[in-house]
Amino acid sequence: MRETMVDVLIEEAQAGTNLVVLVSDSTSTSKIKPFQEQFPEKLVNLGIAEQNMVGAAAGMALGGMIPITANAAPFLLGRSNEQVKNDICYSETNVKLVGLNPGFAYGALGPTHHSIDDISIMRGFGSISIFAPQDPQETTHLFQYMLHNEGPMYVRLDSISAESLAATREGFFPGKLTLHRQGEQLVIMALGTSIHPCLAAAETLQDAGIHTSVVGVSSIRPMDYDQLEQILRAHKTVLTVEEHSVHGGLGSLVAEVIAEKQLGTRLKRSGIDEGSFAPADPADAIRKRYRLDAEGIVGTVKELAGGEKR
Amino acid sequence: MKNSHLLSPNQIKEKARRIRKKIIEMNSHAGAGHTGADLSETDILAVLYFHILGVHPARIGDPDRDRFILSKGHGVGGLYCTLAEAGFFDEPWLQTYLQAGSHLPGHPVRQKTPGVEFNTGALGHGLPVAFGLALSAKKQKLPWKTYVLLGDGELGEGSNWEAAMAAAHYKLDNLTVILDRNTLQLADRTEIIMQLEPLQKKWEAFGFEVHCVDGNNPEDLLNIFNTVQGDNGQPKLILARTTKGKGISFIEDKAAWHHRIPVGDEVFAAIKELE
Repeated sequence: MRETMVDVLIEEAQAGTNLVVLVSDSTSTSKIKPFQEQFPEKLVNLGIAEQNMVGAAAGMALGGMIPITANAAPFLLGRSNEQVKNDICYSETNVKLVGLNPGFAYGALGPTHHSIDDISIMRGFGSISIFAPQDPQETTHLFQYMLHNEGPMYVRLDSISAESLAATREGFFPGKLTLHRQGEQLVIMALGTSIHPCLAAAETLQDAGIHTSVVGVSSIRPMDYDQLEQILRAHKTVLTVEEHSVHGGLGSLVAEVIAEKQLGTRLKRSGIDEGSFAPADPADAIRKRYRLDAEGIVGTVKELAGGEKR
Repeated sequence: MKNSHLLSPNQIKEKARRIRKKIIEMNSHAGAGHTGADLSETDILAVLYFHILGVHPARIGDPDRDRFILSKGHGVGGLYCTLAEAGFFDEPWLQTYLQAGSHLPGHPVRQKTPGVEFNTGALGHGLPVAFGLALSAKKQKLPWKTYVLLGDGELGEGSNWEAAMAAAHYKLDNLTVILDRNTLQLADRTEIIMQLEPLQKKWEAFGFEVHCVDGNNPEDLLNIFNTVQGDNGQPKLILARTTKGKGISFIEDKAAWHHRIPVGDEVFAAIKELE
């Protein structure tokens, strides 16, 4: 997905889009080398100084350029939190913040490098759009959208290599939910690339006679709340899956809608437990422990389906 | 874009006097404000807006304008009174300072006030943003300049030093930083709270061309601004030694007046000193 981002940046720079990429010693994290080789003057390395990187991005936007910051999500939103809040969101500068390797992608490197709170943090700030593309194809559409639309935007960009899905072919539509599978009774909703284990789980469940709907969420803000409500009304149970804390992420957002609209939909949130760090273990081990892999999702859905039968 | 006033030092002094009077009237009317900080920076703002900055009230979004950022956002009262004096908005707006729905909130908001370039208030933000502005001008080969006014107390924020390092690294000679060195911050003297000196050596070590000046003397300020417009690859730091509360004897150099406002007879006494 990072390579996909870089491909779009190269194409856009070639086409004359007035963009500039800012990194904080994160040239390898962002896989930006091919862009840097073609457009060295459009790549600004600020060194290990994230506060200055974000403030500088705001300034460059005010100077008429389209800045894209690219570094690890935990340092972007942790170290430069106030710059993101004031210089980007409150000041409404045309900056595109890319949080790389979010969630617990850094695995055994531990919670210093994890970002299981980025959606929660960004939902707390006004003015900024919040995106989490599901696959490379949607990443392409998303970056094209971002570079041709004004306003502050945050992208949670996963590092996994994933196949592109049929349902994202048409383009990126801010706010829209992606319906990948239509089932009955139960809907699985996934944040960003968590869609992939959810779809694998749905296949396995179908073989076991459980037909679930599967919905991908790549746009947290804006959100088409009418569409979300319709989906929730059409199902008795919803399972949210995200590589994020269950506090403040997709699960919380769905819970808010169920409560405020008095939908009565039964909700199960899979993610990192509220009040916990993800452990300093390999990412696969964390997925397994928190039932965020296909096997765990199958297990959770079977338990939920069993509960419905009772 | 050129400055449309190009006033002489004596004319700027008169502007500064009028701005100070507005500050006293506005803050006392609002019942709040950062009087000491507003008065400290007045001469610097008067020189910038009436001689140096290429800005014009009729062309606030002009891409060719110079950019000025007030990093010490709490000094917004001084900026509002300067912008009003320079015609960026009508003077009656000053009577709405800090009121609900006003165009003039307690810290600068670019979406609300004509002439305000950036939202500040939290400290240590202005220099990184000014660095980005200056860098974008260099990247796009544009002639406009970037100016940023820092308070001395806010030098405690590490983000300033990140940006200072970067400004020298990227050879931003189109960036001028003005330091309002009044030696007072909210709680006490800067040197008691956290030692800042030797400031000249520090900024020089960071790669800046440093000029020391009496920051309450328009003539000296003007001379310095006119001598730093070279293309030598170095960002500029104008170390402007000022007096907090400058111009009102009983407000000058007192930490308590950081966000005190004149009340009752103090208002008349202050205005009298300015007439």
